[in-house]
Amino acid sequence: MSDFARQQGEFQRGILASDDSVLAELLDSPKEKRETLFAVYRHAYSARLVEAMRSEHELLHAYLGDEAFDQMARAYIASHPSQNANLRWFSTALPDFLRSTKPYRGHPVISELAALEKALNDAFDAQDCEVLTLAAMAGFVPERWNDLRFRPHPSAARLDLSTNASTIWLALKSEETPPEAGAPAEPCRLLIWRQDVTPMFRELAPEEAMMWDEAASGIPFGVLCSMLATYDDPDGAAARGAGYLHSWITAGLLAGVFGGD
Amino acid sequence: MNVSTKIRDPRPSPAPHAPPDGAARPDFLGFGLGLRAQHYDEILNGNPPIDWFEVISENYMLPGGQPLAVLERIRERYPVVMHGVSLSIASTAPPDFEYLRQLRDLARRVEPKWISDHLCWTGVHGKNLHDLLPIPFTKEALDHVVGRVQLVQEFLGRPIVLENVSTYVQFSNSEMTEWEFLSELSRRSGCWLLFDVNNVYVSAFNHGYDPLAFLQGIPADRVVQFHIAGHSHMGTHIIDTHDHPVCEDVWELYAAALRRFGQVSTMIERDDNIPPLEELIVEVDRTRAIAAKVLSPPGRHVG
Repeated sequence: MSDFARQQGEFQRGILASDDSVLAELLDSPKEKRETLFAVYRHAYSARLVEAMRSEHELLHAYLGDEAFDQMARAYIASHPSQNANLRWFSTALPDFLRSTKPYRGHPVISELAALEKALNDAFDAQDCEVLTLAAMAGFVPERWNDLRFRPHPSAARLDLSTNASTIWLALKSEETPPEAGAPAEPCRLLIWRQDVTPMFRELAPEEAMMWDEAASGIPFGVLCSMLATYDDPDGAAARGAGYLHSWITAGLLAGVFGGD
Repeated sequence: MNVSTKIRDPRPSPAPHAPPDGAARPDFLGFGLGLRAQHYDEILNGNPPIDWFEVISENYMLPGGQPLAVLERIRERYPVVMHGVSLSIASTAPPDFEYLRQLRDLARRVEPKWISDHLCWTGVHGKNLHDLLPIPFTKEALDHVVGRVQLVQEFLGRPIVLENVSTYVQFSNSEMTEWEFLSELSRRSGCWLLFDVNNVYVSAFNHGYDPLAFLQGIPADRVVQFHIAGHSHMGTHIIDTHDHPVCEDVWELYAAALRRFGQVSTMIERDDNIPPLEELIVEVDRTRAIAAKVLSPPGRHVG
């Protein structure tokens, strides 16, 4: 290892592990001791990452408050040193961290709030793509519909929540007092996506969530309707399927259709 | 002991030389501003008197969405320069080719007038500290950075522009000054230089040397951009926070830089406490006015 590489390793350890060995290779300035000057880097490291996390998780920050959020952020920073050159992706593992780490894992609403914010952030800058239009669908003759398969927009994602995190999110977004954390009897099935440039989410009924999940995995429309028939009135299944499809297309949730030729 | 005291005599500036592959010196763009999301609407819906914009590359190294859509509209109306913070050109870690590929992809899309980053490193051993960390100014470090700049320039297919960073510590094993290091780096690798006036002011104060010595030590023909920014004064040292208006000392150093380097593309760089656009336009106007005053021939009035 070169001396330069060794020195960089020590400098980094000085910041990440508060190891002072590097101080022996630094100079005091005319007005200040090297310990104080090196501390600028130590402080800036965690301050910058906490700030980045506050920016990515604005509503979780609002929910927890400065002190609790920063304490949580510093625990995450300590356990997840940044491995990506772009700060944008630093908080990516936060929902998993909160789901699995004490004391946060005892309060699942926190990890679910983080997961919802992450999903919205990911939708915000997800890949651009043309969206499927109703006009394009009109080109398929009715007898081909059973074979149609759909491609979700790259920004679309599903999230199942066991808590009322989405209700808390909505309250925080409106700067209202959020309700007490709680767990509804049924899981909250969310669909998150970007319409034009705006990230959105909405709750899905169990039937629509099932159809979305299956459609997103490439199941053709005819089979989707058969599956819908097991959820509710079998005679209305095709109409319900067509209705869901219509709403997805008008919301910009689908990027393409194939298999109808 | 201070590194600058090791220099007995100011060295003459290296002779002008041809950049690699005959790359021409980038055009003078005028007086610009760092593009920040807070000002998107005002810029797109108005016609602010700003000659060009510098964008933080990483903010647009994304799959898609609004930031890239806005940038597309900005670049239709203004010259754009890409300024990165994660190139880590002086790192001894293996080069991050995934980062370089993303940077190249963005450059193909944006077609910036040039691509800049900093003479610094941001991490080793697979970690990123997201800070502009200092290096020892040694021959070993110089050889390493020259090689890295050459590699990056080959990958991107164009010379890059490197900026001096604000530093808080100096290494006892430095063998040359920062300006000697930058001069040699530019001479050997063909990279251009971004002279951050505020960073020179900050580092000069922190390390106790004359900022004019830095200024005189940089080859005038290699500087293609100025950054002007604010900082936080801590009494015994200055922290480069880029979150304050530009102070009078930095304006004075800017005037001195104009006298030394001549007409150079200049921009106001504010990274935090982002004020309303009109407040920054006042600073942009001042960069323009000072340049007009300093660079106009004696006796001639500038309107």
